[in-house]
Parts: sequence; C-alpha cells; structure tokens
Amino acid sequence: MRLSDATVVIRPRTTWEAMDLGVLMSQRHRRLLMTSWAIVTLPIFALLSAIFWDSPSLAVFIFWWLKPAFDRLPLYILSKSLFGETPTLNQALREWPRLLKPQLLASLTWRRLSLSRSFVMPVVQLEGLHGHAREQRLQVLLQRNAGAAQWLTIIGVHLESALWIGLMVLFYLLLPQQIELDWSWQTLITAAVQDWRWLEHLTNAFYALVLIIWEPIYVACGFSLYLNRRTVLEAWDIELVFRRLRQRLSTTALTLLLATILWVPGAQHVWAAEPVITPDSPRLLDQPLTSQGSKDSIKALLEQPPFKNKETVTRYRFGEEKTDTKTADDSKTPEWLKALLALLDSPRFGFLATLIEVLLWGAVIGGVGVLIWRYRDWLQAFVSRRPALKSKVARPLPQQAFGLDLNRETLPDDIAASAESLWQTDPRAALGLLYRALLSHLLHDHHMALKTADTEGEVLQRVEQLQQPALLAFSKTLTGHWQNMAYGHRLPPAHLQQELCDGWRTLFGPGAAH
Amino acid sequence: MLETTALPRKATLSPPLDTRHQVETPEGIDLPLRPAGLMVRALAFAIDLGLRGLILGLLFIVLAFLGKLGAGLGSILLFGVSWWYMVLFEVLNQGRSPGKQWMGLRVVQDDGTPIGWSASLLRNLLRFVDLLPFGYFLGAISCLQHPTFKRLGDLAAGTLVIYREQPLTRPQLPEATPLRPAFALTLPEQRAILAFAERQGELSEARAHELASILAQPLQVPAPHAVVALNGIARGLLGPA
Repeated sequence: MRLSDATVVIRPRTTWEAMDLGVLMSQRHRRLLMTSWAIVTLPIFALLSAIFWDSPSLAVFIFWWLKPAFDRLPLYILSKSLFGETPTLNQALREWPRLLKPQLLASLTWRRLSLSRSFVMPVVQLEGLHGHAREQRLQVLLQRNAGAAQWLTIIGVHLESALWIGLMVLFYLLLPQQIELDWSWQTLITAAVQDWRWLEHLTNAFYALVLIIWEPIYVACGFSLYLNRRTVLEAWDIELVFRRLRQRLSTTALTLLLATILWVPGAQHVWAAEPVITPDSPRLLDQPLTSQGSKDSIKALLEQPPFKNKETVTRYRFGEEKTDTKTADDSKTPEWLKALLALLDSPRFGFLATLIEVLLWGAVIGGVGVLIWRYRDWLQAFVSRRPALKSKVARPLPQQAFGLDLNRETLPDDIAASAESLWQTDPRAALGLLYRALLSHLLHDHHMALKTADTEGEVLQRVEQLQQPALLAFSKTLTGHWQNMAYGHRLPPAHLQQELCDGWRTLFGPGAAH
Repeated sequence: MLETTALPRKATLSPPLDTRHQVETPEGIDLPLRPAGLMVRALAFAIDLGLRGLILGLLFIVLAFLGKLGAGLGSILLFGVSWWYMVLFEVLNQGRSPGKQWMGLRVVQDDGTPIGWSASLLRNLLRFVDLLPFGYFLGAISCLQHPTFKRLGDLAAGTLVIYREQPLTRPQLPEATPLRPAFALTLPEQRAILAFAERQGELSEARAHELASILAQPLQVPAPHAVVALNGIARGLLGPA
C-alpha cells in the first residue's frame, strides 16, 4: 500500500463527507461494480427462486441474508482500485471464491445483523484480523464513527425499500390497462394459488435489481468511512506531505549544507513573535488623529441619522389582558376560551368563513387580473392575433379582383347581349365583361369568399368546391380564354362568342344580369 | 490554493477523487464547495418532514374546534406548509430549512451565490418529479449517480446542496520551545506540520513518533526528538497566539 498512489484525495473529512466520497468512488467504477455484482448475484437469486418456488418470501429472505458474502466482491474491487490497480471483470470474478473464505460463517450468522457491517468489513477482509486482535481494532475504529456507520445502514434499509416499492409501482404503472382491470387487488390478495407465484418471484427479482444499484454504493460508503477513520487515526495526509517534504529536501544537497550551518537549536526565533500588528491594535500614535480617535469618530458618525435612524414609537397596549389570561389559565377550561369557541361556532363566524372565502377568491381573481394587465402587451402581441383573425368572418366583400371591378352596379343589365355587341369591336372588353360578371356573380350570389389576392386558378378551385358541373365547365372555358386574352394577347376563336354567350344565358337565364 | 495529496503524475491520468467542487469566481478565486450527498440530505429531509407533520398536526387539532372556518383555514395551511415551507426557509434563511440547518447543510446556486426565489421555487416544484414513482425513486437514483449529487430539481434549477462552513475552534498545541526551521516550507508543508501538532492528541504516541521520524533526518535531530522539534516548528509558525 503506497499512500502516494491513492486515487482519492486523502484528508480528514466529516463522516457524512466520507460517505459522499464513497458514492463518488462507486460512481467512478460504476460499470465494473454493477456488472460483477449482477453476474454473481443474479444466478444465485435465480437458483434460490427455483429451489424455493413454493415459498417466494423464503427465497428472497435467504438472498437478503447472503448479502455479506456478496459484499466482499465490491470491497475487493474498491480496495484494489483505491491504489490504481483496478482489476478487470474477469480477475475480480475469479478472485471472489478466495475472498469468501475468511470468517464467512461469522459474518453470515452472528455478525449479520450488525448495523455497522459495512464499516467493519474491511477489518476482516483487508486487514485479515480475527479473534482478539479484531476485537481490539474494532474498539478503536468504532470509538468515533460508529454512529455514522449505523446511520448509513438505517438509511440504506429505507432506501432499499423505497427503491423496491418504486420499481413495483413503476411495473404496475406500465401494465396495459386491460390487464390491470383483470387484476383487481382483491384477487391478488386472495389468490394464494399457483398462478400468482411468478408475480411474487418477479417482485423478488425487483429486489435483486435494486441491490445491483445500491449495494456497491453501500459497500463503498462503508469502505470510505473506514478509510476516513484510519486517515484521522493515523494521520495519513500528514504522512504523505512529510514523505514528500523529505524527498524534496534530500534531493537538494545544498539545502542540507545550509541546514547544518544555520541550525540554531533552542533559539527564541519565532516567526510571528514580533509584536503582532493586527487591524485592531492602536496605530498612528505620533499624530493628532490616532487610529483609536478616528475609529471612535467613525463609530459616532455611524450612530447618526443617515446610517441609523432611531425612532421612538408610543402606542397603547392592553395591559390587563395578561393578567386576564393568567387567571384564566388557573382554571381547567378558561372562560374566555369557552366564550371564544362559542363565538366561533356561532353563525356569525360562519359568515366570517364565507367572508374569508370571498376575499380569497377575490384575491385569486384580482391576481389573474393583475397578471393579465401586467402582460397585456405581450398577450396582444402573441396571443390575441390568431383568434382575432378567425373572428373576422364578416370581412368586407372585395371590390376588385385582378383589377376588375366586381360591383354589381357597374355591370350592364343584359350581360350576354352587351358582350355580343362588344365582341365585334373589342373582343378583349367583351371577354373581360363576361369574366367580370362571372366573378361578381360568384361573389354575390354564391357568397364565395373571394379575396383580392386570389388568382384565377384559385377561383376555379373554389368553383370546383361548389359542385356544379355546368358552372365549372363554363368557368373553366371562360377563364382559360380570358387568361389567353389578358396575358397572352391571343384572340379567342370566332365561334367562341356564340358559345360563351349561350353558355351564359343557359346558366344564368336569358336576361340575367347577374 | 488547495493542496492535493495525490502526485501530479497521477493527476494527469485522471484527477484524484475529492468531495470538493471548485467554483472559480471572475476574480480568479477558487471557492471550494463541498456538495452534500444523498445520505445526509435524506436525513435532513426526514427532519423537515417530521417537523412539518408536527406543525400540521398541532394546528389541525386547534383548527378542529373551528368547524367550517377551521376546515377552510386548514386546507389553506396545508397548501402553504407543503408548498412554501421549503421555499420560504431556503430563500429567507440563507438556503437552510430547519432540517438542513440541523445537518449543517445549505442550498446555493451552482456558482455559490445565495439561492433566489425562482431557483428555489423550481427546485421545490420539481420535488414532485423526484418523488416519482414512489418515495424519491428518481431523485435518489439521480443523486447517487451525479458527480455533485444533484437530484432532478437541482439539475433544473441549477442549485447545489453543500455543507456549511462550520466555525473553527482554536486547537491546542503541545507546549514546546518555538523553533525556526532550517529550510523553507511551502504552504502545504507548513499546514501539515501545524496539523501534526494540532492532531497529536488524536494520534497514538507510537504513530506520532513514526510520523515525526520521517523528518528526523532533514531536521538533523535524532529520531526520538523529532516530535519535539516538529512541535517547536509548529509553535514557531503559529507565533505567540
């Protein structure tokens, strides 16, 4: 064992801090500790469950009872890794049978229920003490830290059960609802039949799982408590520094030489022996304002208004009340208490309860109001816009689409006739009139939600939604030719005039203006 | 500066484990915080739980006399105690609930500054996550596996439960003639020599001699006198205090 190889910082700690160091140690070798523990314990647990299939509680009890035997493996790993020789999983597992030999019977029988089990385990396993020597060693070790070791075990017991129940609850929560319905708790309790054995063994298995997490930590905490106790007892930290100091000094021969020359034994050379100058000692004594004088004046200043505001408050107090309570205390049931209780039971106090209730609700509502008022800008910016958009159903009808006026009043009475007459002189205006009239018709008679931003294609899609094949076909032809005309400047074929005007008349009636 | 007892050559491999958590301030000062682990925190929580139970039990007995008003006040009280007990104590009492105070703990932010309202509220609201699915299951697992022992609430709120610095008592040094050492001592070495003198009462006599004889050769004294010489140096370092 070379202290300078230790992988932990060696210094005396409080007992709780020592336990924390144990947790850290178990964290560093988490994987090795947990896998080795699982590899050792789980097969044994399975074996026990198989042997005692008919009495699951006995199986888990024996498993629990065997814990000190399992504990030796994590302790071996931790003690090796403390000085940087972390064993591999294989090495550790191969070592376990050998670790079991010393005093196994004792640790499984009369020492099993000792509360400081984890703390004293290293004495047997690492120091190899037994009999009287062990007793003496324990006496020394347990002088101080016995309480902490016992607390560790007590906390461990509670933690184990909390984690165990936690796993069960988790299991129950993850059950599909159908199965959960079938398993009413009553049947679980009453059914001591074969069918539920596996469930009990499953619950036991949860305990084995909990131990994989907790037991290495428990062993590590006990081990670090032991380390800490020995650090304090044997001043390991001091030894480390002393050894390093000697190493440093022996490397410099010059220092040694100087040491022989300058060594003056017994001289009253005390480094700090000069008159101690502390901030509190009087200074600046040779001038009018000494340090004491300035300190006094500072104190006087600090007592004055800007720093300290003294105020005398006079108010009335009920002097008699005290005597009242005193006399009342003498009798078994004080009169005033009775009166108070009677008063509180009376309907008047029912009213008071209602009043408080109202006040509380008022406070809640007021609080919500204040919150809303406080964040009104934020709410306007981020919350209210979308609903406001949705609520704007009654939008004003668009007056124009693609630059075409959609107002009914601007359209001539007989669209088809006007279009026919226009066709000869200005086919563009005629097509435009027809398209404009179609849009206006869709807008006003079919209440189509046209927007100024809609394109011709979108208008067609909306017409499709109306589910009127005739109207759709007409709209398609008209839109197509209108687009050709408007954007492509391509004249429609001559026969189209008749087709469109007839189409208009059949759809909207001969004289239909709209 | 904090001394570490492990050699630098080890430190490059992986830093030696310690329960100290260093926080560096903007001024370049290292604050050593000592995060508290699950065991002591569990005990502190148990104390708090018991205290809350006691308060609620007593007040409920009083309120039972008041009928409907009492029931209403009781539920307000239950709400207040269960949700605000920890928060109020932590914020208004320097991060110490009574249980933590008892166990010598306090809650601080990750950087060592006092805990504020939002952090305290957050870490105590998230208790209900730590509680899941039973009896602080998640909180315990997280606390055991985190290098600075944080439960989920601490992770979310960025807080740390640490040991409070306890006031030091002046240790008694054994009587000896003050000496000046013949060689320069670094700060850790001075501390070790002082600690040797201070802790001599706890050490067995044989062990004290064994320790002192390590330095007998550099001190140029015979091994049996090394203890006295070291005590003298410690006296010299301490001065006539």
